[in-house]
Amino acid sequence: MSKRTIAVELATPGLDPQGRPARIPLEAGVGALERYGEPDAGEHMLINIGPQHPATHGVLRLVVELDGETVVRVIPHVGYLHSGFEKLGEYRHYNQIIPLTDRTDYLSPMANNVGFALAAEQLMGIEITPRCTVLRVIACEMSRIISHMVWLGTTSIDLGAFTPFLWAFQERERIYNLQEMWTGARLTTSVTRVGGMMADVTDDFVAGLRQFVDTYPKTLHEIDRVLTRNAVWVGRTQGVGVMTAQEAVNYSLSGPMLRASGVPYDMRRDKPYLAYDSYEFDVPVGEHGDVYDRYLVRLEECHQSNRILRQALERLPDGPLNIGDPRLILPPKSRAMSDMEAMIYHFKQVMEGVKAPVGEAYVGIENPKGELGTYLVSDGTAKPVRWRIRPPSFINLAALPKMAEGHLLSDLIAINASVDIVMGEVDR
Amino acid sequence: MAIGLKVMKRPGTQVSYLRATLKGMALTFSHLWRPKVTMQYPEEKSSKDWTLSPRWRGTHRMLTDEQGRAKCVACGLCPQICPANCIKLVPGEDEHGNRYPLIYEIDEFRCVFCGYCQEVCPEEAIHVGVHYENAEYSRDRFVYDLERLCAQTHPVSTLWDPSDPKGE
Ligand code: SF4
Ligand code: SF4
Repeated sequence: MSKRTIAVELATPGLDPQGRPARIPLEAGVGALERYGEPDAGEHMLINIGPQHPATHGVLRLVVELDGETVVRVIPHVGYLHSGFEKLGEYRHYNQIIPLTDRTDYLSPMANNVGFALAAEQLMGIEITPRCTVLRVIACEMSRIISHMVWLGTTSIDLGAFTPFLWAFQERERIYNLQEMWTGARLTTSVTRVGGMMADVTDDFVAGLRQFVDTYPKTLHEIDRVLTRNAVWVGRTQGVGVMTAQEAVNYSLSGPMLRASGVPYDMRRDKPYLAYDSYEFDVPVGEHGDVYDRYLVRLEECHQSNRILRQALERLPDGPLNIGDPRLILPPKSRAMSDMEAMIYHFKQVMEGVKAPVGEAYVGIENPKGELGTYLVSDGTAKPVRWRIRPPSFINLAALPKMAEGHLLSDLIAINASVDIVMGEVDR
Repeated sequence: MAIGLKVMKRPGTQVSYLRATLKGMALTFSHLWRPKVTMQYPEEKSSKDWTLSPRWRGTHRMLTDEQGRAKCVACGLCPQICPANCIKLVPGEDEHGNRYPLIYEIDEFRCVFCGYCQEVCPEEAIHVGVHYENAEYSRDRFVYDLERLCAQTHPVSTLWDPSDPKGE
């Protein structure tokens, strides 16, 4: 089978880590059957990992064909957690969809809320206030930290290191406490509204986050001390599951998976939203594209998120949180209860929803796991005709068969962990 | 440029199994003297680092007026906004023409605790509450009717409440 090669000029990622322009050829995809033919049941062994297996990080089922202990191929089966979020969204007002977005990537709920709100705002042509912008950056970066902490903890458990798991989850717990202070829920935050936020942060929250930002790097350094140069960790991860830059682009990977392969593409840098280009931070990229580099990249991203959080706290402006237009966002409760006009808007908005103009909008944001895209089509009513999520971990998961090929069964666990999947988002 | 690139170089050296283990052990033991982060849950319900947030969105509570009647005026906003469709409301009208709920039920199993019902209620009647221990012996006890909602005594969430101006 001949492979078609199309040379493409990538928008900004056309730079290699040294800063030279790079062209990355695209190849046509090859299905599993074309690549390997029918399973060879006589010589090889077929085993199922999952859907109820702790090492698959959710209800993922992997059908693995083994030759001895070497993986010949892996076929991931997904769909055990399918909830039909996108369809449900077609029957709900824009604001009513926000609780659904919590539950897609449930390890970074706030970032999903932000992604959806940005798309709906683009659709309606809403400009959010400066305070809201900064608070959303805080929400996104808090999500990145908890998501990477869960990743780090579960991956280190998969590879036999139990202690970093406990430290990582301690830090995650602190962020959860902050989320609880802000939104009243630890996981199902629903923190955004179209045109603003559900609630402003309290002074306790700001003080708590300051304290977190100051003490968090210590834990990162401890994790760094026990893992980065540890011979066991290095032996299990270096050279395992390699994706070259070219393959990573061809599999349309995004997020830390892509950057670990040496493609410096980060939505925050290349298609800035929420004024990310005014913050000072580094985008970490790897050189080898193996599990170890993904670990290095994610660990460094935690440091960088911490840096962004610190800057965001410093610049947190006063002023209104929500846009002032009572046709688009609910007026404050006390006004709705005292002022007749605000009350009418309040009723009208709840009963009819906010109508979006006919059109479509796509917004991609850099979620912890990669590019989270939200695509909305409106026919002029208060409910979207189509709501589609581009789930980063689903697309990253598609590279698993390629990465695991030829490795040992025990490496498959490390590779699967390094993808950082969350099944709520894969199956939606 | 404000946003830089950082190429993650691998450390040139790696430590041996034995040294890594010993180093890890030393670090882990140093954690023994740190303040403890766990809580003995059923005995302790809050610690100095954590108490349940006053904004907590938990099981519902219906506030009542001085005569002990539910404040709800059966306006129909909360069943409309509820994304989980779990509020059942049948409005009634008394002899003075005041509307009140004949039936008001919340299915706590379907509820997603988004708090929208509290956000939209113009009478500050329905509230999500600061409460989380909800175990029951049977499933049908989780459909809270009006009487049960009014009889709840836990504090209510301060979100969307004048007492927490930032939460509005
Ligand atoms: S909290 Fe949300 S899901 Fe629960 S009853 Fe209220 S509106 Fe419905
Ligand atoms: S929004 Fe408030 S007043 Fe209206 S029906 Fe619901 S509880 Fe009753």
